Amino acid sequence: MSNENTLLSIKDLHASVEEKNILKGLNLDIKPGEVHAIMGPNGAGKSTTGYVLSGRDGYEVDSGSVTLDGEDLLEMEVEDRARAGLFLAFQYPVEIPGVSNLEFLKVAVDSQREARGEEALTSAEFLKMAKEACKQVNLPVSFLKRGVNEGFSGGEKKRNEIMQMMLLQPKLCILDETDSGLDIDAMQVVANGVNSQRSPERSFIVVTHYQRLLDYIKPDFVHVLADGKIVKSGDASLAKELEEQGYAWLQTEPTEDELED
Amino acid sequence: MSEWLQQAIARADSIQDGFEDQRATSLALLKDIKWPTRKTEAWKYTPLRAVERSKAIFKEESPELEPVAVEGLEFLELTFVDGQLVSLPEELPEGLSIEMQESSLFATIKPERHVFGLVNDVLAADVAVVTVAEGVAVEQMLRINNLLSNGAQGHIRVVVDLKAGSSLKVVENAEGQGASLTTAFTEYQIGVEANLEHYRFALQSGDNVAVGGSHFKLFENAVMNSSIIGFGSDLQRIDTDIVYAGEKANAKLNAIYLLDGKELFDLHANVEHAVPNCTTEENIRGIAGDSSRAVFNGRIHIHRDAQKTLAELNNRNLLMSNKAEINTKPELEIYADDVRCAHGATIAQIDKQALYYLQTRGVSRSQAQLMLSFGFINELIDQMPTVELADWVRPIIRDRFAQMEVK
Repeated sequence: MSNENTLLSIKDLHASVEEKNILKGLNLDIKPGEVHAIMGPNGAGKSTTGYVLSGRDGYEVDSGSVTLDGEDLLEMEVEDRARAGLFLAFQYPVEIPGVSNLEFLKVAVDSQREARGEEALTSAEFLKMAKEACKQVNLPVSFLKRGVNEGFSGGEKKRNEIMQMMLLQPKLCILDETDSGLDIDAMQVVANGVNSQRSPERSFIVVTHYQRLLDYIKPDFVHVLADGKIVKSGDASLAKELEEQGYAWLQTEPTEDELED
Repeated sequence: MSEWLQQAIARADSIQDGFEDQRATSLALLKDIKWPTRKTEAWKYTPLRAVERSKAIFKEESPELEPVAVEGLEFLELTFVDGQLVSLPEELPEGLSIEMQESSLFATIKPERHVFGLVNDVLAADVAVVTVAEGVAVEQMLRINNLLSNGAQGHIRVVVDLKAGSSLKVVENAEGQGASLTTAFTEYQIGVEANLEHYRFALQSGDNVAVGGSHFKLFENAVMNSSIIGFGSDLQRIDTDIVYAGEKANAKLNAIYLLDGKELFDLHANVEHAVPNCTTEENIRGIAGDSSRAVFNGRIHIHRDAQKTLAELNNRNLLMSNKAEINTKPELEIYADDVRCAHGATIAQIDKQALYYLQTRGVSRSQAQLMLSFGFINELIDQMPTVELADWVRPIIRDRFAQMEVK
């Protein structure tokens, strides 16, 4: 299935947390520029997918493979995955008082530029970029001076995630329930930020529980993740279908995989 | 009794001035006192060898020394060199006075139990009394400089009296050139509805030996906000006492220590909630590297009548080496039944979740660890109300921290 044109290729991925199997044979291929939505009930492994791909401690890969741009992602350290172009927007971004947002963003951008063999930005150049990014996600510039996510509201944290994405210019962005806890206005700001970053080179995995975010970020493909694997794939209309039917059918009907078996 | 203390007493016997009555009392106490040892609870982890072995002398003549400059701040400077008051501000704002006179507050706010406080009572040659008149808000910061030339011994004492409704910002700054020994005690009376913004910087390290204290008494609706920042040295000990004498008073104490080499730093903080409706918030954070030793003792005593007290004490520590040592002891003594109190002490490694978060943005693990360790103490620097002081001390701490990492 994968070819030279594939950005991310996940093959038969099995992963566990504290010895509990969560991912049970996940397959997914993503080409540059595509937007894939992953939906599914709680506990299906949606967030785990993001954590496994980013290399979080405690998320063990039991078997399978993942490549990003042809490179073995699973062999890399967490920071090297980011430098290779992976970005995870967290559902619950961490608060880090004492580390200023600006310092954090500068170090992150510098680290990635260095890894790509690019020159470091001057403080003035970076400040200009950061202020611009603030404006785009509707965060006051004063937020750059505050501790990372310190005392930010839920919506502000999510916008800060999108701002980081804008500054880091990744190849593949995973948005982990970025819509959770957001009202419509905040969701629109986040969606606009994401849409402004769509390009033929950049791909997205939009993990969400609800269809409404997909009204703003139009996916090319929608996948249903249940019990650790993708049980149904389709186009944007699948999301609407799910919204109407919910996930109850997953328990009552045999899944596609099972039918194929 | 130690030889050092005997010499101190002999010297005190020879000093004559206006503080004789109070000094006589302290001297009598001192002559009777038991020199602290390992078995003395308040000195259990802080041996006094450095004092006993000190060769620091009382100098007849001292070199001219200038306190460190802080960008963006012009202080009213009260400068002691080797224990002698060498300069007072030429002009004082209206309502602020500094006098070398007898004060009825002398040795009344600082409790008698501090051995070196008694030493200071009898050896501090020049006692400065700072008074802010009722309702006066002094904008310019007052800085008390305790400067010590190489090999010198000096003892300084300042009494600060904030009358009702007044406000003052005070920086206590100590700088030693090496092989020095000092005791530095300050007493603050914060009157009804008065406001004190206080800093104590103890950034002299190496073989400087410093023992001292900042002691506060708050009356009704008084507010104090104190930040203490210390490096360790052969011996660095600070005692602080906060006593509530009026209701609805409020004290915030933040302290940071950052230790390297074989340094020793000891902070004892004692809070006496003697009356109802007062609030205390203490945040103490430290990092100990190499084979250093940090000692923290935080006692909050809530008396029987002190209902509706709110008190929080939090001490968090990071160990950067397996030879470093942290001795922390929070003590809550509560005799009232309608109070809200919390205390905690942790000694930990770096927050793994935050480390992962930084790494997912491409920051290397080692740099992320550095950022988080610095951030851990920087969080308290960020809370300092005077931004210029925060901007001054932040790079000093960052530099020291960076050096610690290299080892």
